[in-house]
Amino acid sequence: MAVAIFLLVLVVGSVVFTFVSPWWFTDIASNWGTIDTTVLITFWVCGVVFVAVGLFMAYSTWKFRHQEDSRAEYEPENSRLEWALTIVTTIGVALMLAPGLIVWEDYVNVPDDAQEFEVLAKQWTWAFRFPGEDGKFGTVHVRNINVDNPFGMNPDDPNGADDVLINRNEVHLPINQPFKALLRSNDVLHDFWVPEIRAKMDAVPGMITYFWFEPTKVGKYDILCAELCGRGHYTMRGEFFIDTQEDFDSWLAAQPTWEQMQAGISPKVYSALARRGREVADTQGCFACHSLDGSQVVGPTWQGLWGSERQLTDGSSVTVDEPYIIESIREPAVQLVEGFAPVMIPYGADLISDDDVEALVAYLREETSPEEEAAEE
Amino acid sequence: MAEASAGHATIIQDWASDVTTFKGVPWGKAMMWIFLLSDTFIFSIFLTSYMTVRATTAEPWPNASEVFSLMAFGHSVPLLLIAIMTFDLITSSGTMALAVNYGYRRDKRKAIFFICATAFFGAVFVGMQMFEWYKLISEGVRPWGNPWGAAQFGSCFFMITGFHGLHVSAGVVYLLIIAYRLHKGVYDKTNFEIVEIVGLYWHFVDLVWVFIFAFFYLW
Amino acid sequence: MAQAEIPYQESMELHHPHSWVTKYWYSQDHKVIAIQYGITAMAVGLVALVLSWIMRMQIGFPETGAAWGITPDIYYQSITMHGMIMVIYLLTAFLLGSFGNYLIPLMLGARDMVFPFVNMISYHVYLLSVIVLLLGYVLPGGPTGAGWTLYPPQAILSGTPGVDWGIITMLGSLAIFIVAFTMGGLNYVTTILQARTRGMTLMRMPLSVWGIFAATVLGLLAFPALFVSAVMMLLDKLIHTSFFMPAIASAFDAAATQYDGGSPLLFQHLFWFFGHPEVYIVALPAFGVVSDLLSVHARKNIFGYRMMVWAIVAIGVLSFIVWAHHMYVAGMHPYFGFFFATTTLIIAVPTAIKVYNWTITLWRANIKFTVPMLFAISFVITFVVGGLTGLFLGNVIVDVPLSDTYFVVAHFHMVMGVSPILVIFGGIYHWYPKITGRMLNDTIGKWHFWVTAIGTYLIYFPMHYLGFVGTPRRYYDNVLASGGESAFYPESAALLNAGISITAFVVGAFQFLFIYNLVVSYWRGREAGPNPWGATSLEWRTPQTPPIHGNWGDQLPTVHRWAYDFSVPGEKEDFIPQDVPRQA
Repeated sequence: MAVAIFLLVLVVGSVVFTFVSPWWFTDIASNWGTIDTTVLITFWVCGVVFVAVGLFMAYSTWKFRHQEDSRAEYEPENSRLEWALTIVTTIGVALMLAPGLIVWEDYVNVPDDAQEFEVLAKQWTWAFRFPGEDGKFGTVHVRNINVDNPFGMNPDDPNGADDVLINRNEVHLPINQPFKALLRSNDVLHDFWVPEIRAKMDAVPGMITYFWFEPTKVGKYDILCAELCGRGHYTMRGEFFIDTQEDFDSWLAAQPTWEQMQAGISPKVYSALARRGREVADTQGCFACHSLDGSQVVGPTWQGLWGSERQLTDGSSVTVDEPYIIESIREPAVQLVEGFAPVMIPYGADLISDDDVEALVAYLREETSPEEEAAEE
Repeated sequence: MAEASAGHATIIQDWASDVTTFKGVPWGKAMMWIFLLSDTFIFSIFLTSYMTVRATTAEPWPNASEVFSLMAFGHSVPLLLIAIMTFDLITSSGTMALAVNYGYRRDKRKAIFFICATAFFGAVFVGMQMFEWYKLISEGVRPWGNPWGAAQFGSCFFMITGFHGLHVSAGVVYLLIIAYRLHKGVYDKTNFEIVEIVGLYWHFVDLVWVFIFAFFYLW
Repeated sequence: MAQAEIPYQESMELHHPHSWVTKYWYSQDHKVIAIQYGITAMAVGLVALVLSWIMRMQIGFPETGAAWGITPDIYYQSITMHGMIMVIYLLTAFLLGSFGNYLIPLMLGARDMVFPFVNMISYHVYLLSVIVLLLGYVLPGGPTGAGWTLYPPQAILSGTPGVDWGIITMLGSLAIFIVAFTMGGLNYVTTILQARTRGMTLMRMPLSVWGIFAATVLGLLAFPALFVSAVMMLLDKLIHTSFFMPAIASAFDAAATQYDGGSPLLFQHLFWFFGHPEVYIVALPAFGVVSDLLSVHARKNIFGYRMMVWAIVAIGVLSFIVWAHHMYVAGMHPYFGFFFATTTLIIAVPTAIKVYNWTITLWRANIKFTVPMLFAISFVITFVVGGLTGLFLGNVIVDVPLSDTYFVVAHFHMVMGVSPILVIFGGIYHWYPKITGRMLNDTIGKWHFWVTAIGTYLIYFPMHYLGFVGTPRRYYDNVLASGGESAFYPESAALLNAGISITAFVVGAFQFLFIYNLVVSYWRGREAGPNPWGATSLEWRTPQTPPIHGNWGDQLPTVHRWAYDFSVPGEKEDFIPQDVPRQA
């Protein structure tokens, strides 16, 4: 009896839960309503089977519970019944599979009028590239990557000059225009996913993957990384805006091209020690998480770092000076800046020597001090 | 036709019978066959991975006939060493077959002799393989790189021939143990099927070599 | 045909133990080895249980978790070790190493496995693999946190926890486990094929043996892929070959520049060529065992025995051509999607047949709600949910919005986490009387059942809906990095997660009650007698309970009928054991 009630409550409860729970798909913001349709078809077919099997079991366990004077029926096989069930199941499966394959056909074939943009994934930030006025991407290679060339642009490729580079976790796309997202990764597997778009695909180092979609609803959405990519996986977020065409155009025009980016890099004059510090920062990969342009990525930006006041997670604040910087390298979790996750590994003496830390401090002092102060020294 | 359907009927009879599925097959032999099936998957996956890596790597693949050539009488002869190694291993298969044959005739002395001969050819093969590794290493081939192209060439080569070489080495030890136990009379009460079991393993290792030979040296 | 002689078996020389050490440690008795496997698997399973508490703590109560010292590293290490331990070192080892070892010779009427010595070594190598795995916790850097799928390049690059030693011990342990499994598996398959007793045809074998048989064959053919990929990744890690490693610009790993030209997708293909059959390595023995439990306790023959056998075989064969349904959004050629979606949905048909036959077995039965039966019934309903959600994820386009979300977590926990565990519990309650001669405590057993069955459903069923919302899996913290509420993680979801965590703590705690039951009943349990459930298969017909070394007396039993002669019309008893001759 208890078992029959258990099964009945399970079935009824599951159905009720489905209707009263607040959790369902977010409002769709792309053309992939067809994906939702295939999910719904599957949901209803499976739901009916679940309810049918559950109720059948509940009835059987109630009706045929053990009684001393009764005996079970002896029925080893029933070919007609077994074949009938097999055929019905096959039909049900085909009903789910056929629409799924039709929509998949759509998913893998990009329409001719789709424009392209590139998503560059790296631990644990996003960057984006648009092909610029010529409509062609410049070639890239990971071996070209350094702090002044975060996309690994090939400097000799003229197609790359007008490529628009957005080296922060933010991208805008215009509404009602199909886009083909080209995905690449610098280091490990990532997965570009905006839940409201529905579509997703892994970014795999060493190859370019793609998917396409058409934004259909103006708004701001979250970009998630959906493939485990290391200890900072969960911090790999970004902002995805669907704009009107005008808003998008003006946003895009404000972004730097590769040419502008190169021109903007003024050869700064550092002391010898600071120059070595800059090399340490490059080789240790500091710039993966700490920007120089004020954008907040995985870690706090270094823009205006020296002498600034930083709010910490424990509510106190600290002035950035040499001891604080050294501590933040050696034991980064001790005084953590508000709003950031404790993902940086402690760089012990086995990873960075004391000399290198000293060089780094010198570099940070010269690079990030407010102008006047630097001039005074 | 009649024969074929009779064979078909026998198979059904065997699988539908009690006690044993493979009639007259000792446990050890059945187990060896199943093990070899599993091992076939290991080598197939090694070779499939090798082909995949070779197809996807960015750098050009080194030219096998140049890499594997040997200087003889002042000429560079492609695949000379490999030809000798292959011949050696095929010879060992022949001696193994003789050992199995004498085993079933219960000619212990000859069986032991040919098992030892097989082990000898196996050891010679491993020796030549070590020489080949030595030659390649001295020419600068490493698992992580080589002077001529894709690093995966060395990775795959050392990994797969190494894994096969381990199989051969283990086979030599296995053969010697069996020869010793045969000599001590451990198997006197049986039909000497142990010789056939070790023979199965040995022929399998030879067969794998044929595939490695084809995929590494002729492609 | 004259009655066939049983070659080797009757003249088999058993290695009889002389001391405690040879009886319980270096034992060659399949029953002792089964118990060794069982205890080790359960012990390491408890480790995985504690790890699940750590991660549920962090997911349900991120602030408290962080305050208690659960860092991202610890979280990712916990999910990785939890997953790998559960799939390989608990489920595979328990279902094949423990159930397989115990049941195969007894159910087939054999004296032991065909090569008891190899069988003994198999356990010791398995134990070694467990020790190597746990070594990750004491070596510098801790265990790997790459996720149980161990995808490169991530798994061997700094930026992921445990790249110093953890990944090495993990891969090494897997390779050792495969050696152990191969030694055991060769024994199981050979025993089933070549060492049955008189009258025991393949189509008279209990479905437990069929399930274990098919799973072992799958294991012998699928584990090679894991073995090879483990070897290749170890080489990538240790001597910087580039099998799986393309050119990389890693911010965290200076050594990464040494790599070039490898293929991360190759690893995924190899991993899932193993990984998907692995699902059925765990599922098929569970299918088999649950069929027997349902039949015995419903006092009715299993419905459609032949169809059940063919379904097991069909699932086994098909499981080798569906692997890439784990990779729909992994960046492989999109046209693979058509093929793998089709094969995957075809495999649903034999699976559905099994479910139908289990439920039809209940129809017009005479169901005794013993503890094993309770677990068997809850398995069926849990498996129905898990199997049906598989139809979402197997159908390529439906998978796109759901992959890498909590829907996946819910699906695989339902279908290959909770389901086989329920069967393992049911099996232990069912066979404990044969193993020890005593019954497990019924009251504790029912408490254990109700909390486990209801609790696991409450934990995993709502998770599917989090997946629809878009909550991604493997996130250490859903709130912190976005600085507040978000569309993919509304406040209600955080509340739900807290509830799920509390349920998980309770369900986990009740498993210790089960352990208590196992221990106490060994001494205090009610005497069971040789056949407390009125079952028909041979293991209940041994001359002694528990069976002694060699299982049978002077004469092996002779089988005259299938294992499901329950409630045969016109018979006095409602069961007829397999070795009872037919009336002439």
